Amino acid sequence: MAVRRTVRSVTLAFGALALAVSGCGPPPATSTPLSKASQLDFTGVWIAVGTFENPAGPPPWSNTLWPAEPSFTPWGEAESRRLSAIRNVVPCQPGGPIFAMWEMGLFPIEILEAPDRIVLKPENSALPRRIFIDGRGHPEDLEPSWMGHSIGSWDGDVLVVDTVGTNGKTRAMNGVGSNAGVSSEDGRPRLPVSDQLHLVERFRIVADSEILEDEMTINDPKAYTSPFTVKHYWQRRPDIDPIEYYCEESPRPDDEANLPGGARR
Amino acid sequence: MKGVILGLAAAVALVGVAPAVAHHSYAAFDRDTQVTLTGVVKELQWNNPHAWIQIVVVDDKGRRTEWGVECGSPNMMARTGWKRSTLAAGDRVVAVVNPLKDGRANGALVKITLPDGRVLGPGNAPGPRPLRSAAKSKS
Repeated sequence: MAVRRTVRSVTLAFGALALAVSGCGPPPATSTPLSKASQLDFTGVWIAVGTFENPAGPPPWSNTLWPAEPSFTPWGEAESRRLSAIRNVVPCQPGGPIFAMWEMGLFPIEILEAPDRIVLKPENSALPRRIFIDGRGHPEDLEPSWMGHSIGSWDGDVLVVDTVGTNGKTRAMNGVGSNAGVSSEDGRPRLPVSDQLHLVERFRIVADSEILEDEMTINDPKAYTSPFTVKHYWQRRPDIDPIEYYCEESPRPDDEANLPGGARR
Repeated sequence: MKGVILGLAAAVALVGVAPAVAHHSYAAFDRDTQVTLTGVVKELQWNNPHAWIQIVVVDDKGRRTEWGVECGSPNMMARTGWKRSTLAAGDRVVAVVNPLKDGRANGALVKITLPDGRVLGPGNAPGPRPLRSAAKSKS
């Protein structure tokens, strides 16, 4: 571990020097990637603590429940109703940066930390979240995307991640469908994500390096009149290896994803 | 095949809200109803997005019904004790399912008893393990 840290430090220093000398590469740093105060490593396999029977997971590291009465804008309220009326989501549609951090521990997430970026790869998503920690900003001519554009910086041992540029096409941030009825949380309104999402996350590792906390402050003025914050927790699970998941592999016509669905309970 | 029965009316029991399994909708299934299927496995379809078990059930009048039983994804199932080889054609099983609301012979798996007596679920979230730090603080 010590050797790897040393290599990383050397790599970072060399990279910073090379950028300073060459004037090339990503936009100038607004914060130094060398400012990480913690030796805690995000690299590894993590699985959310929530289950359908207990979406919050056990205390003290328990997921925040989704708001039961979100402060919808008229657009947000209409979009929430639309999402609730959809009985079946496109099964393989990417979930966006918030749903990628789903609090239900069905699929693990793999995090790989490199000197200039941290990559979060949910098992059930073909698309990773890629967080640049080399000091760059968001591009001015940002092309909207499913996961948005994420930049990170260190606040002590907290990784602060700023995400914009989502495409507004994703499913609700709080669940699979609409339809759901798969957990005790599903009676709550579906929470849409628009193309105006500004997501700020504070990641930190707690509980003797076993728990990852993702505090998400969701500011989406197209959908909500005020920001709100939830915390999701993930447990480090070195015993789990991610498995390939290609959800269009063999869908059956009678798979529930393709059924019209029944009356919502 | 008297031992293989589907006493549908008798087996349907209101047992409260069953555990849910899928990563998307289960709205098509009647989660307040459980049907017990005693039958013979025709096939385990070990595929994404969801695995399926085809189970042939013969009732006491000799009528043969093939049920499609939907499980979670193989990913989820593999982390809760399943393998592709867990079931083979010809295996006798007892499966408890939430049936489709439209009456077709499909259901969402609640639990299944394997020929060796093991009982497996549909592939729910494994749930968090006790924290090492909690164990340390107790010791």
